[in-house]
Amino acid sequence: MDAAFFVQLLLNGLVLGVIYALIAMGLSLIFGVLEIINFAHGEFYMLGAMAAYFAVERVHLGYWATIVAVTIGALCVGWVLYEALLARLAGSGFERSILVTLGLSMVLQNGAVFLFTTTPKMLQTADTYSNVTIGGARIALLRVLALGIGVVAYAGLHLMLHRTQVGRAMRGVAQNRDAALMVGIDPRAVSRLAVVVGIGLSGLAGAALAPVYAVHPLMGFAFVFKAFAIIIIGGLGNVSGAAVAALALGVLESVMGGFLPQVVVDALSFGAMILVLLVRPQGLFGRGVRV
Amino acid sequence: MKPLVRSVTGVLLTLAMLGAGAQTGAPIVIGASIPLTGGVSTFGQHSRWGSELAIAEANAAGGVLGRKLEIDYQDNRCNPAEAVKSVTQMIAEKKYVAIFDGLCSSAALAIMPLVERAEIPFVVANASATAIAEKSGVGGNKWTFKVNPTDASMLDALVAWLDKEGKAANIAFLGEDTDFGRAGVAGLEAALKKRNRALASVDFYQKGTADFTTVFAKIKAKKPGLLALYAIDADFQNAMRQWYAAGGGIPLTGRVLVDQVPKAIMASGFLDGTTSVQPYDPSIDTPGNKAFVEAFQKRFQTAPILVSFEAYETTRVLIDAIKRAGSTEPAAIRDALTKTKYPSLLGNTIDFDDHNLAHNNAVILGIRGGKVVVLGFSKT
Repeated sequence: MDAAFFVQLLLNGLVLGVIYALIAMGLSLIFGVLEIINFAHGEFYMLGAMAAYFAVERVHLGYWATIVAVTIGALCVGWVLYEALLARLAGSGFERSILVTLGLSMVLQNGAVFLFTTTPKMLQTADTYSNVTIGGARIALLRVLALGIGVVAYAGLHLMLHRTQVGRAMRGVAQNRDAALMVGIDPRAVSRLAVVVGIGLSGLAGAALAPVYAVHPLMGFAFVFKAFAIIIIGGLGNVSGAAVAALALGVLESVMGGFLPQVVVDALSFGAMILVLLVRPQGLFGRGVRV
Repeated sequence: MKPLVRSVTGVLLTLAMLGAGAQTGAPIVIGASIPLTGGVSTFGQHSRWGSELAIAEANAAGGVLGRKLEIDYQDNRCNPAEAVKSVTQMIAEKKYVAIFDGLCSSAALAIMPLVERAEIPFVVANASATAIAEKSGVGGNKWTFKVNPTDASMLDALVAWLDKEGKAANIAFLGEDTDFGRAGVAGLEAALKKRNRALASVDFYQKGTADFTTVFAKIKAKKPGLLALYAIDADFQNAMRQWYAAGGGIPLTGRVLVDQVPKAIMASGFLDGTTSVQPYDPSIDTPGNKAFVEAFQKRFQTAPILVSFEAYETTRVLIDAIKRAGSTEPAAIRDALTKTKYPSLLGNTIDFDDHNLAHNNAVILGIRGGKVVVLGFSKT
């Protein structure tokens, strides 16, 4: 096997894995703190991409200004989502949260179809056709930037969760909500922050990937189901586990895709998810409470 | 009494004539099921424009059988289930004299049984799957007519061209996993087999795939001489960007949409050496095509693409059949279609064989020096 080919596959897989991680981390964080699986997560990623498209193409904002603006917008949307909807689900059954977020997903997706049509949009920037060569392997510059954004996002999230008071509070609420309340932590404020950060991450993912992929209302669907598989493989609520699982899956898909038919590769993530559920239901890295 | 009888008769005759006049004035309505939204909606929009132009020209010339023509569009999103839903609804309304296009091969194939049961002519302008013609005409669906060439016939013409240039060995295939993509690989394999050759590799992707980087790396590693690409609309745009990022290095072939390559990529010369086969190109130098291109640009402020032309010419074939039928009865229109001898804008005569398939020319297109050029024509 040609070494350059293997390096290309690894590089592609690394980028793909970080893309998966960007989307999966927010989902995992929300579950870890609120114990709610947000089935609308893919739609927030899509809305982030849509917002980025209109910011660049209609408002003529630059790439980085768009990333910042869309992320701030997503943080605000997360705040509204929690206060308007998710706060009311606290303490209610798991089934209720699934139904509510599924319904929200349908509303957002069909709303986007109505407003934007399903016609795909291609975001053009000055760097659309720029490439980077690393040891014989080629990669689009915008994908490298998306990789960098993903790494920075993970680092920031990890620092927040493990080095700040508010991160400790989040881990406390995730471990035991009542005990956290008894030591003076406000579970509602912490939960709200988790949703804000989680939705902010999905919006950031959308903005970072809008110049890489075609933007359309159905774009969140495929990625979010991969994200579900990833958070199950990594351990429900375990953000670091999700990040590692995402990276591993991206690399595995890319390497296997270099030798197997694409249809087999597409089944890989769900096959792995089923295997983990059968063999180690708590996920490879354990269930988080370990946000 | 006699004056009274005469008066009443006169009134009755007048009312009858007025009624007949009103009926004569009612428009002739054609139903169209095309993707107006979704990943192929750009094609759907161009199909709509092409047929609208043909209808407008016919109406400006006085209509057909003393009546104006109209065409109603329903969205099928390039989805067979949506196509069935839209055409079922049209058939139930009982006002359409014919059904137009489907556009996507999967959609057209799904529509065929419906029009056969309802006994309404169905004219296919854009869907290219060979199975459409194989299932039509003698021994099959007598109500479906395919005006554009099949994939099989176009690919046979392309492979003959490539073989002549010594380039038909070592072709890899990448296509969408739909009837369109599957028809493409079947057509290429059949054409190569005739020349004792085979495809070097075959890969399919799910329609709507965003990331092609892995499959492109895989194909490049095998170092084929050519890559036959069967992708359209958003998938094609994603693939072009990612092929460029991957460095290409392998000329493309098959049904590459050379008129939709992003301008920056085309101008860079990156795709030079590409050889594609299509039923049409706007640069074809015939008086009829030049007039069509000019009229289309004037009306819609954009250049036509192959889908616009196919829709335009197919609508004109249908209008011609209605005229010759002298009636809007579906069976009469169908019989008139079988006897079509229509002068194509590309210079040939369109007539249908016993599988209700027309055999217009295929155009061999190339990308040379950052530009699309017509390399030649081939009868299909």
